[in-house]
Amino acid sequence: MNIVVCVKQIPDPAEPGALDPNTKTLKRDGKLILDESDSYGVEMALQLADAAGGGEVTLVSMAPNSETSGLRTALAMGAAKSVLVSDPALSGTDALGTAKILAAAIKRVEGADLILTATESSDGYTGTVPEQIAELLGLPSITFAKSIAIDGGTVKVQRQTEAGYDECEAPLPAVVSVTAGVVEPRYPSFKGIMAAKSKPVDEVDCAALGIDPGSVGWAGGGQEIVTVEAAPAREAGEVVEDDGTGFEKIVAFLDNLKVI
Amino acid sequence: MRFAFSDQQLEFAAAVRDLLASCCTPAHVRECWDNETGHSPERWRQLADMGVVGMTVPEAHGGLGMNELDWVLVLEETGRAALPEPIVETVAVGAPMLAEFGPTELADRWLPAIAAGDVIVAVQHQGKPYLAAAGYADLLLLASGNEMHAVPRADVRLVEEQTSVDGARRLFGVDWHRTPGTLIAGGEGGYRTINASFDRGALGAAAQLIGLADRMLEMTVAYAKEREQFGAPIGSFQAVKHHLADALLAVEFARPVVYRAAFSLATGGADRSRDVSMAKAYASDAASAVSKVALQCHGAIGYTVEYDLHLFMKRAWALASSWGDAAWHRERVAMAVLGPVPGALPVEPDPDPLGETLA
Repeated sequence: MNIVVCVKQIPDPAEPGALDPNTKTLKRDGKLILDESDSYGVEMALQLADAAGGGEVTLVSMAPNSETSGLRTALAMGAAKSVLVSDPALSGTDALGTAKILAAAIKRVEGADLILTATESSDGYTGTVPEQIAELLGLPSITFAKSIAIDGGTVKVQRQTEAGYDECEAPLPAVVSVTAGVVEPRYPSFKGIMAAKSKPVDEVDCAALGIDPGSVGWAGGGQEIVTVEAAPAREAGEVVEDDGTGFEKIVAFLDNLKVI
Repeated sequence: MRFAFSDQQLEFAAAVRDLLASCCTPAHVRECWDNETGHSPERWRQLADMGVVGMTVPEAHGGLGMNELDWVLVLEETGRAALPEPIVETVAVGAPMLAEFGPTELADRWLPAIAAGDVIVAVQHQGKPYLAAAGYADLLLLASGNEMHAVPRADVRLVEEQTSVDGARRLFGVDWHRTPGTLIAGGEGGYRTINASFDRGALGAAAQLIGLADRMLEMTVAYAKEREQFGAPIGSFQAVKHHLADALLAVEFARPVVYRAAFSLATGGADRSRDVSMAKAYASDAASAVSKVALQCHGAIGYTVEYDLHLFMKRAWALASSWGDAAWHRERVAMAVLGPVPGALPVEPDPDPLGETLA
């Protein structure tokens, strides 16, 4: 059972983030860490490989400046190796461009039975990359997995919904996005941390992936960030004096929100 | 020459910090104040699985064979969480003592079990009547004159349980008999064993004190930003700012001294004991100063047992006076730098002249 997990390395959310005034995008030139929302996919992959009695977990990531510190965290958890795409031409790449690059990187991993992703990154939140990867690779896609089981050549997924969950299945290989919080990511052991140093990181650029640099980055992006403004301050709430019919206002308010 | 921790050493510390943030919250520490032993077997198991407990056990005995520079940051993290387990005794003192000075039979018997997390160690030092964690430790390292012995707890009688100022710290006297089969080292070797182990224990306690001080300061800064008086957060008042700045200075001055002592121990420096004493004196003073500032800036609430800060202050008080208090260590530094002062009392290896009961 060979599993690919797409992981993103992001600026530490504990540090205050800053925008680059020229590009109007998040500054990503400092140390990057493993996106917490990706740690659930890594844990899920490690559990599935264990349950299958063997196989490797391979990480696929795209990051500026050959950054690997987030990858090392996932390698310390137990992933076997990783593919890192790093190329100055990738600055400003949008969601579809990211999917193109990750799809090309996934193709470098031989014999992948399953591709796991998070549902969305903690610093971008487009939530579209997993489905775009599936489409580009011509694979079935299941989103919002709360549990995953492999049965022969089929992946069976409990797909989280607002009301509960759907039971879905798809033939392997498939792309499945894992909901944050559904498994408890393991803490890396000291031995894992030591072993991670010597695990292979296959670093590639656009040329190695056969991708035209003009089709990704700012050049290939279908988006332009025109302006960035502070979010409007929260407005004062409505104060209702209860004259004995206050409950009706509350009911009407909740009804309007469609929570009752 | 590079005087910074390696990425790996920093990653070890980060992993321990993450683990303890989930399994050693103030609520967990409070549980250890209230339970029978002051100990959590599940948490010890988690620390062993991560590799913390066996990190100083030699690789041949199933550990990671690491030294003081590898564990000083890890123990700082255990202080930050006010971890109630005898991690200093087991990791910093016990395993290296058995590995470095013990006969093969004792090392083979105990070290693999320590690395596996199956054996917890409590340590007694010369002149110290009481042992922390002796109520649940599996192996007691006991001093008798210039001899150190490794005695299973099953073979001793625990007497005179003492309460410590820190509710999670249970102290016991031990009634035991020396046998040739338990001897780790005696004579000249025993003297070296006792000294080296005492220095490692003092460094371990110093590292924990830095973590405790850092955490108390962090809690106090958060409180000063949140608590309002006269229509403004109290942290905006100059008198409070000065207190917090003094506390930060104390921690930041002590921290490099502690790291320096770890370097001296790891590299077998000739001035090892002097450097450890500087570290323990600075760390004890810093943690005591920070707890005072923390208590004052929190107002009366800091004194109540129900408030989390209380747990950290009490741990800091207990550790500041164990493994030698600041005054004792300053005296040892003076002795190392100036030599014996005519007419002064000799510095005996009695790190706790007041006894643990007052700690």
